[in-house]
Amino acid sequence: MAFINLQNVSYTYPLTKTPVLQNINLQVNEGEFVAVIGPNGAGKSTLCYALAGFVPHFFKGEISGSIEVAGMESSKSTLDEWVLNVGLAFQNPFNQISGAKYTVFEEIAFGLENNGVPREEIKPRVDEAMKLTDISNLADRSPYSLSGGQQQRVALTSILVMQPKLLVLDEPTSQMDPIGTREVFGVVRKMAEGGMTVVMVEHKMEWIAQFADRVIALKDGQILLEGKPTEVLTSDILAENGFGISRYTSTAREAKKQGLWKKENLPVTLDEAVEGFTL
Amino acid sequence: MQERLSYFVKRDSVLHALNPLTKITLVLSIILISFFSPWYWTSPALLLLVIVPLGFSGKVAREYFTAALRLIIPAAGFIFLMQAFFQPIGHTIVFKFLFLDVTQESLSFAFRVATRITVMISAFTLFLLITHPSELMSDLTRRGLPPQFAYVIISTLQILPQMQAKAQTIISAQRSRGMDTESTFLKRIGSVVPLVGPLVFGSLVEVEERAIAIEARGFTSKKIKTSLYEIPDRQSDKIIRWVLVMLVIISILLNLWLS
Amino acid sequence: MKIQIDNLRFTYPTGLEALQGISLTIEAGEQVAIVGQNGAGKTTLVRHFNGLLQPTVGSVMIGDWDTKKHSVAKLASRVGYVFQNPDEQLFSKNVGTEVRFGPRNLGYSKDKIDALVERALSLTELSDKTETNPYDLSPTWRKMVALASVIAMDTPIVIFDEPTTGQDAVNVARIAHVIAELCGAGKTVVTITHDIDFCAENFARVIALSKGQILLDGPAHEILGQEEILAQTYVDPPQLTRLGKKLGMKETVRNQEEFLQLYKNKAR
Repeated sequence: MAFINLQNVSYTYPLTKTPVLQNINLQVNEGEFVAVIGPNGAGKSTLCYALAGFVPHFFKGEISGSIEVAGMESSKSTLDEWVLNVGLAFQNPFNQISGAKYTVFEEIAFGLENNGVPREEIKPRVDEAMKLTDISNLADRSPYSLSGGQQQRVALTSILVMQPKLLVLDEPTSQMDPIGTREVFGVVRKMAEGGMTVVMVEHKMEWIAQFADRVIALKDGQILLEGKPTEVLTSDILAENGFGISRYTSTAREAKKQGLWKKENLPVTLDEAVEGFTL
Repeated sequence: MQERLSYFVKRDSVLHALNPLTKITLVLSIILISFFSPWYWTSPALLLLVIVPLGFSGKVAREYFTAALRLIIPAAGFIFLMQAFFQPIGHTIVFKFLFLDVTQESLSFAFRVATRITVMISAFTLFLLITHPSELMSDLTRRGLPPQFAYVIISTLQILPQMQAKAQTIISAQRSRGMDTESTFLKRIGSVVPLVGPLVFGSLVEVEERAIAIEARGFTSKKIKTSLYEIPDRQSDKIIRWVLVMLVIISILLNLWLS
Repeated sequence: MKIQIDNLRFTYPTGLEALQGISLTIEAGEQVAIVGQNGAGKTTLVRHFNGLLQPTVGSVMIGDWDTKKHSVAKLASRVGYVFQNPDEQLFSKNVGTEVRFGPRNLGYSKDKIDALVERALSLTELSDKTETNPYDLSPTWRKMVALASVIAMDTPIVIFDEPTTGQDAVNVARIAHVIAELCGAGKTVVTITHDIDFCAENFARVIALSKGQILLDGPAHEILGQEEILAQTYVDPPQLTRLGKKLGMKETVRNQEEFLQLYKNKAR
């Protein structure tokens, strides 16, 4: 049984006519790291919400098809149950800080407090989670005094402390500066390598190519392409459909047309490009 | 980014160590006694013999006096003048100022109103200085206040400074498009929509995202919430609260009996 | 229009000295990218160009105007500033009105405003959306509305603050197209960006700031090849620059055409 199983899922937000997701069929195994790419408006965020249970439970709207995640089924489980199993983080770290707590430590403990975790357990769990994401030194700071990268790591820690089975990340580095991006990718990579099932929407192809197990290309609410990173990210279909692609790929494609790139496969990463272009 | 997110000042004092509910009771009692008292000297007495000593005991006297200078005295002074000059009561004219008659009764009334307002704002300021909002909300939630209520209050306190920063950015953005914020009053009225519009619309998106974020951390879960900190409610707290309630009742009875 | 900055120092009210002696000249028609990590002073610097901030020490001249002597509203006729978050600007009931706001404030004639607005809308592909409420548009198109709103002001200098953050490839291409058009019209374009590939492909001059001072300033070709110094600003060189270096190319590569040209020469 697949860990994530979406069958023929279509979804339309309330008061709108066009379905944002159209007939999505997606299976993900436990422990896989799946990257989702696509232009703005493709339905990536909606897909994240569907995996996290917010579609349809928070947003209402019209849904068809079945969504099974981590043993839960969309029509049978409540949002309360879903959030215990699926952690969700998105682009803007500022909007993920609850505003209800004055220090980073308390902020991370918030989720545990809400779920009735006994007081004696809260402190050790928060300590452990902060060590995992390397923010132990920020414990007494106000979440609002932190940099973007730090805030995003606090947001991630706040969900990781709840020990979810699936981590869903919607463009977590889009608004980060280079340092923040590195910090966030570091945490995600560590989680993925530790066996966490991760579904992440990202634009940064090079990184995806190195660390994702699979890539899903979404456009206009449908899965255009899916498969191994090297296959998907170098596919002509992406180029034709307005997806951003790595400059190594686009340059090699052009070079191939001019007879300068001799290999069969196009590169996505720097190393692959160097290898292919070295005379 | 503002570090000081509330008016709370952390000090090691008996006052600070009181249970949050006790602190509320204390402040409300002072305010109620001041309002129900039939004598004009009650409010000044409360101010000088209760609030100021409490301020010293709580080691927040300096902050209190700063607030007093900046806000309380000007506010009370303004109200006093308004009431004295523009609320003519009685007939015993004490002096004339231009075309306004000032009567003894007006002065007396104005004094009472102004001192009551002073007591009210002072007590409230004292409360803010000695109470950590998180602790207050935790305690109230434990006693049955809906968590959503507590959340709205605390997050507003924290997010207001951020909204202020956002408003500043909006002002900068619109000024950069030639909007004149420095000239005539009429022009400045015209700049309300370009300033408020983005603030409101931009905030709506943020509010929704934040709602999702806290939902994702179980905020609306039906489980009984636990709390990271233990806020003690000692026997002394309970006794103090009862005494204060008694004093308020006595004050109300005195008022009824004497008038 | 020329921007002249002399020994600019700026200290925030909090006491933070964000700019510690910046001197530079940007000639009319130049396209300059400012890079550096957050906190280096990029936004602080650029906010001096339209008067939002005033120097603590030193001076900023926009053409023949000293920014200390003119209000922000007046400087807006010479310096257009596209803020990072469009939602911090948009308020009108439809796109058309929104885009007119800037030029109207500048007091242009109705005919001039009509022409400028039409040109701005067509450049940003918004001509068919003039009656739509900006907040009914997706974030992608709201970004375009914000861009159009500033372009319509037809200022000789245009500043972009992180124009491509959060945008998908299609919109980045649109933004690059807009910038190219502005350059073609002789405007001075200054941008703050973290997207080093976007920077390499669209800007001829790069200034790297670090801790309130200029670390590097020169033609993109020179600057982007200096990996070690750029590393101090936590900026990775552009993808193709790195590729060129690893393949042993002597010249710094800025974009696909250059790479292929150099590669062809090498292959011979």
